[in-house]
Amino acid sequence: MKPPRSAYPWHWRVLDVLERVVETAWPRRFTKGLPHAMLVPVVLLVAILIAGLVEMLDSSFRVLDTNTFLMSDFYTLDNYRRALTENFFQSVATRSFIASFIVTAITLVVAVPYAYLMVRTQSPALRKFLLVALFFPFFIGEVVRAYGWLIILGNQGLVNEFLGLFGLSSVRLLYNYSAVIFGLVQYMLPFAVLMIAPALTAIPEELEAAANSLGANWIRTFRHVVLPLARPGLVAGGLVVMTLSLTNFAIPAMLGGGSQDFMSNVIYDQFFRTSDQGLGSALSILLVIAGSILVGIIFRLFGTGSLAIKGARK
Amino acid sequence: MSDEKFLSIPLRRRSVLGSIAAAGATVALSPLGAARAFAQEPEKPAEIIVRAWGGSWVDSLKAGVSDSFTELTGIAIRHDLTEDNEIQPKIWAAVAQNRMPPIHVNWDTTTNATKSALRGVTEDLSDLPNLKDTTDLAKPVGLDGYPIVNTYGYVYVLAYRPSAFPDGPPTSWKDLLDPKLKGRIALYNDGIGFHFPAQVAGGGTLEDIPGNMQPAWDFIAKVKQQQPLLGEDPDFTTWFQKGEIDAACTISTNVREAKKNGIELDWVVPEEGAKFDTDGLWIPKGLPENELYWAKQYINHALTKQAQQVWLDGLGLPGVVPGLTPPEDLVNDPAYPTTEEDFKHLIRISSKVQVENESVWFSKFKEIMQG
Repeated sequence: MKPPRSAYPWHWRVLDVLERVVETAWPRRFTKGLPHAMLVPVVLLVAILIAGLVEMLDSSFRVLDTNTFLMSDFYTLDNYRRALTENFFQSVATRSFIASFIVTAITLVVAVPYAYLMVRTQSPALRKFLLVALFFPFFIGEVVRAYGWLIILGNQGLVNEFLGLFGLSSVRLLYNYSAVIFGLVQYMLPFAVLMIAPALTAIPEELEAAANSLGANWIRTFRHVVLPLARPGLVAGGLVVMTLSLTNFAIPAMLGGGSQDFMSNVIYDQFFRTSDQGLGSALSILLVIAGSILVGIIFRLFGTGSLAIKGARK
Repeated sequence: MSDEKFLSIPLRRRSVLGSIAAAGATVALSPLGAARAFAQEPEKPAEIIVRAWGGSWVDSLKAGVSDSFTELTGIAIRHDLTEDNEIQPKIWAAVAQNRMPPIHVNWDTTTNATKSALRGVTEDLSDLPNLKDTTDLAKPVGLDGYPIVNTYGYVYVLAYRPSAFPDGPPTSWKDLLDPKLKGRIALYNDGIGFHFPAQVAGGGTLEDIPGNMQPAWDFIAKVKQQQPLLGEDPDFTTWFQKGEIDAACTISTNVREAKKNGIELDWVVPEEGAKFDTDGLWIPKGLPENELYWAKQYINHALTKQAQQVWLDGLGLPGVVPGLTPPEDLVNDPAYPTTEEDFKHLIRISSKVQVENESVWFSKFKEIMQG
């Protein structure tokens, strides 16, 4: 006897068909491989990145022939020799690394109280304000933000106009190392706060209350309880800020007045201004290596922070 | 490639070149005649893409060349404002991979274009009919044939704010070393335009370029003590406008445009001379034949007296066709050289020497300025 239509509705039949299609396309015995299959897009992306790096590595061992503007057929270490021995590249590399350390230090010092207040405040309005203030810069591109500083800090900018109200002559606030550091700190602050806030959230408030009840004032509690427990966030935030600062392009270009180049600016010049793809590649590879070594040292010294990997040193 | 295909290319190209000659001759006679000739020519593309610099530069090109070309041929012109340095690797990659290049015509500095010519990615333009009516300036120095056609010249002048020079305009590049100008001067961030006058101001000679540029580096090191700002064309205008600088080494066109927009500015060619250079138009290899044909027609059109007059009135620069009328404000201006006497005050170094040494010069300049 045929079952009534209502006992096995049509949409069940559709699902049956879909199930059979899925079974054909991805048999049950493959189920264990599903997590690996989900990694395919990531693997592809990384593979493309590695392919680019391999290509760049190859170019880095070839020199530019200025009679033909073609790369040499032979391999040579000449680009690396230039990158490692010429004063210009050394001074730019030194400037980039020192700036990234300074920016990281300042950003963390500013970001920790911001994140702490955002996490611990009892006022929902204040929390919302701090969150909006944190996310608002993400809606404005880096270049626009840097341009904003040109308007505010320029010779005829708001700050100098304010100084003028008191009869003070205008001060050159832009186009120097300090301006670049300032611009980078402002750009990096939201990244740092976003990395530190989860670590602070994970610290039970009761621990701070316990420290208080044992006689520790707020400063001692902050120093001996909060900061050590927030270390994973500090390490992760520090790493993100340091690597982004080290490789930044727009802010040194816009706020540095052309005399405060970072490595990225120099690499750009090699690729696009002098058409020397070989030297540009060598500088890029060296920057990747130096950055990776720096990250490795930080992992070794401070652990991986909230970027923690199972089995890694805490 | 099959033999048949291989043999067919030169035949087609010859016929195309023949028709270019016919069309070009007609263009030289009258726009209406040109329109009739074009009707017999290869299939027209929907548009031709011309890379250009933005602002008043592209406005002038549009007014002088692109609009009239469209009027004559019905082919739309799209201006691609990608930076000249950034389009270059894209074109080079396209040619190397036998892909169609991203643009039809590149409006480029002659120095940059020379690199592309040396690399062999430029089409030969020797067969453009209107070349016969141009001055020697149209021919790129140090290259065979016409892989580029220079379309005008320009001068890297010493631009200054008159109110900052109450005793009269500066007369020498050495005036930039005046202590009152500390932090108030600007140069291009790769030093372009400044290397050669610096060589003279530093006590050297032009004959020593490129063998001994030490006088230039010594002078640039002195200028470094003045804490100059380093930037590109738009930066100079902004810096003058915002009161950040009082003097700069920049192209006269930019100063003239800023002046037109109400910024208090003027310029001089200092006693040591000023660098004179050229820009040009070229076509990358890899275009379909009909598009190559019309791209060549575009450049040919840019060499007509009418197109040059309007285009270069906008830029305030001397062209490569004799008999152009200088804009009123530039008559007898040293930055608008037209006579042999005018050129005596300017410094012109071959593009080939420049491209061969550019990388070293840029590095040296940056080493001094970034140190």
